[in-house]
Amino acid sequence: MTFWEYLGNRHQQLLADAYQHASAVFQCMVVATLLGVLIGVATYQSGWAGNLATLSTSTILTIPSLAMIGLLIPVVGLGVPPTVIALTLYGLLPIVRNSIVGLRGVDPSLVDAARGIGMSRLARLLRVELPLAWPPILTGIRVSTQMLMGIAAIAAYASGPGLGNVIFRGLASLGSANALNQVLAGTLGIIVLALLFDAAYVLIGRLTIPRGIRV
Amino acid sequence: MSAPEAPDLKATEGETGEETGVESESGVESGAETAQAAPAPPRAPARRVSWQKLTFVPAFLVAMLLATWLWFQQADLDPVSENALSNGQVSQALWEHVQLTVISTFFVLIIAIPLGILLTRRAFRKATPVAMAIANMGQATPAIGLLALLVIWLGIGRRAALIGMIAYAVLPVLSNTIAGLKANDPTLLEAARGIGMSPTGVLTRVELPLAVPLILAGVRTALVLNVGTATLAVFGGGGGLGVLITAGITNQRMPVLVLGSILTVALALLVDWLASLAEVLLRPRGLET
Repeated sequence: MTFWEYLGNRHQQLLADAYQHASAVFQCMVVATLLGVLIGVATYQSGWAGNLATLSTSTILTIPSLAMIGLLIPVVGLGVPPTVIALTLYGLLPIVRNSIVGLRGVDPSLVDAARGIGMSRLARLLRVELPLAWPPILTGIRVSTQMLMGIAAIAAYASGPGLGNVIFRGLASLGSANALNQVLAGTLGIIVLALLFDAAYVLIGRLTIPRGIRV
Repeated sequence: MSAPEAPDLKATEGETGEETGVESESGVESGAETAQAAPAPPRAPARRVSWQKLTFVPAFLVAMLLATWLWFQQADLDPVSENALSNGQVSQALWEHVQLTVISTFFVLIIAIPLGILLTRRAFRKATPVAMAIANMGQATPAIGLLALLVIWLGIGRRAALIGMIAYAVLPVLSNTIAGLKANDPTLLEAARGIGMSPTGVLTRVELPLAVPLILAGVRTALVLNVGTATLAVFGGGGGLGVLITAGITNQRMPVLVLGSILTVALALLVDWLASLAEVLLRPRGLET
């Protein structure tokens, strides 16, 4: 069976896997973004809290994903829970770090001016600081998403959802005619998904980065 | 107002974009620098963080391994777990893991750093964007997929696992090297040329010393990535601590799974710690920012 025949035969199942992969990554990214920006907002003003947040998230990232999933399985079992927890944790670091760097990089005189015209703390944060810090945060989201695409594939070994299952099925049937097709379909599918997400982020950047700070 | 803002944001964007998610200490430090614009000396906090980290990590590792050991002392293992852990299989897996990491890191460095230097030379500068684009594409490739393809192509065994690990880690180290060499202050290079240094002299006596922190960050990135991908070597028959993890998952034996995972975590943190120690110790004196 050639690769194209394989794709034609299995396209329904592959599309279902691809959809699950994308939706797992997307949902975890939404949670990671909310948490990450919240952590960034809560910690960027104090030196040690910001450094602690970056340090602890970077320590999490140092842990190999298979080991992280392995440690989560005894606690939460197999399947979706360890996948979601691991993906969210790994997605945090680039977002936390970039929110802190972005928020700290906002020109203090602009914040001062906002205070001068009578904006409250919340308004300053929402209407001045976060919009100015948004481009680096968005970069963090992009970096996270790319990383999560690969980690989600590994999570399939712990019965997680997504295209990783196709790759592992191919690995399990090494030597059979379909092994290469399966591995290739899974790998290429993940690459395509990652590129699609990246394109979407470029578009989001175009639409949401305030015109004044566009580079 | 937008003019002074723009280069700043661009700088942070470039800095985070070039890393593949693996933390390098320099990222944190430059973040702290942008925070305190001028008044507070940025050196003190940067130092303190690394010092804290240097003592905290070993303490944490010792505590974690001690707790695991104590737990295994009182745990009663069933025959399946006994079987998976006896006869020095644990130490063998650990040793294989270390070997995989060291060998692949060695090859990553001797491939990526010279290639990065080559691609920033004048003659090849046109090829740099192409290389960066390929590197970015490569980052979208899942490690397990790459490994699986190599296993099918080269057959099961250690070689396929090693080549997969190397291919996976070369790209981030390469893009780090290119970005770092490009970030060197052009006026310094101009000055070096101005006092009559040859291109090789400029490279070996100015550019490379200036790029040492960056190369060290690349070493660290490669090491940490490789400790991680070495856990996947088991899927290609390459051994390593992944053997314990996968055995634990497929046989539903939590002690085996936990031991494999904890040893992997400990190894990853230890390697990261050693690399950050090297970064602190080997950084050229004049560049201690």
